[in-house]
Amino acid sequence: MKADLFTALGVTHRYGARVALDDVGFTLARGQMLALLGPSGAGKTTLFRCLAGLQRPDAGQIALQGRDVAMLHGRERRRIGLVFQQFNLVARLSALDNVLAGRLGHAPAWRGWTRQFDAADVTLAHHCLERVGLAGHADQRADTLSGGQQQRVAIARALAQQPDLIIADEPVASLDPGSGAGILDLLKSICHADGLAVICSLHQPDYASRYADRILGLRAGRVVVDVAAGAFGRTHLNTLYDGPLHATESLP
Amino acid sequence: MKYPVTRRWRSWLAWLAAAAFYIACWRVAQVDLGRLATGLPKLGHWIASSWPPDLHELPLFGERIAETVAMAAIGTSVAMLLALPMAVLASRNITPLPRLYYPARWLLNALRGIDSFVFALLFVAAVGLGPFAGVIGIGLHTWGSAAKLLADHIENMPTGPLDAIRSTGAGRTTAIVYAVLPDILPVLLSAALYWWEFNVRASTVLGVVGAGGIGLELKNSMDLLDFPRLFTIIALILVVVTVLDQASGWLRRRLV
Repeated sequence: MKADLFTALGVTHRYGARVALDDVGFTLARGQMLALLGPSGAGKTTLFRCLAGLQRPDAGQIALQGRDVAMLHGRERRRIGLVFQQFNLVARLSALDNVLAGRLGHAPAWRGWTRQFDAADVTLAHHCLERVGLAGHADQRADTLSGGQQQRVAIARALAQQPDLIIADEPVASLDPGSGAGILDLLKSICHADGLAVICSLHQPDYASRYADRILGLRAGRVVVDVAAGAFGRTHLNTLYDGPLHATESLP
Repeated sequence: MKYPVTRRWRSWLAWLAAAAFYIACWRVAQVDLGRLATGLPKLGHWIASSWPPDLHELPLFGERIAETVAMAAIGTSVAMLLALPMAVLASRNITPLPRLYYPARWLLNALRGIDSFVFALLFVAAVGLGPFAGVIGIGLHTWGSAAKLLADHIENMPTGPLDAIRSTGAGRTTAIVYAVLPDILPVLLSAALYWWEFNVRASTVLGVVGAGGIGLELKNSMDLLDFPRLFTIIALILVVVTVLDQASGWLRRRLV
């Protein structure tokens, strides 16, 4: 049994009276890809922000190798690579410069100010671009790339951080199905080859069962499904989207 | 049927108010077409008597125009450099010191609201006659205008890229330089060219208050009623402004 890399325990968060997250907990080992499913408003985005350390939950612990993620400041933040639905690349910079941003948590500040990275960092960035299949696009401006290509650059940027964990927030929601599948395939292969953990929130259950190792289902802020991806089936789907919870609510 | 009638009344009232406003302004501004009618021939006579142009002072005029262009260049460039950090402070979405947001905005509005001419008047008194006072005047006003333009631009920018770069472990300032600067640099350069050209035009009058440049010669000629000299200077200013306008327009097209 591998030691757990990432643990969330009793994570609870409220916005005023509304409960966004209610006692969410799970653990994740290296080499594991976890898909986060749930209907809109289930709390996926709040959970993403908490797991990424962008927001501190009202209660509960989220730890990366025993370190509270909300306490990861400055350079330590490089240990978690983030991938966003809207890619969040710097539009006017080249693909390579965007990937090199992943080295900012390693390199001295003046290198970031002048965008003069040392040779090893540049080699690594080229290598990351090659891994996401964009070796020939290093000098192309980010805003001239297609959506799928931009998301690949964003993944290369996260890779360049050499993180322990990659968290992706609906990484394929803005892409067409073909590029979406490619992105998930890429995340899965990185996860297994590099032995890092990946958490990926998704809208499509079929993608989740095809690419993830494990599926965590959120509904109204609670974990209602937590199974191996191979075991995910019809019953879980009903529980998540229009199952018994909804039925009991609509009883007279 | 009642509705259209009140609407017609309203539109009559609006016309009446507008007419009253312009009549009042006409009086206050002391517009007097009679004086224009007697004055225009005088002006025509001056223009006629200004031929041939007085070219033997050309070296002096060249020197003064160079002064004007240099004042504008230094004032504008320094203002642009100072505008960058100020724009970050005055942008609600990315400022590292939210408590200074409103003070920064107030300062920019004050700098923008006071014309470089007024600043130059003050600084002639403080640092003495000469182009340096003009440089400070231009610099202060342009600083406020440029920083406000950049800040408005930054506030309309998506902050996603900045958040993403912060999350790679980059420091706050490094992240701003890396994520925000590439986006605002073309705006900054284009604005710098525009303001340089604008400031050359504006600084032709700074000489009138003793803040250096060609304006001083302009005022001297007028005081002496030396029309050949006066119109030579005006023609020179037009030439320089036109050349600068074309050059900066060409450069700006290359940048954006």
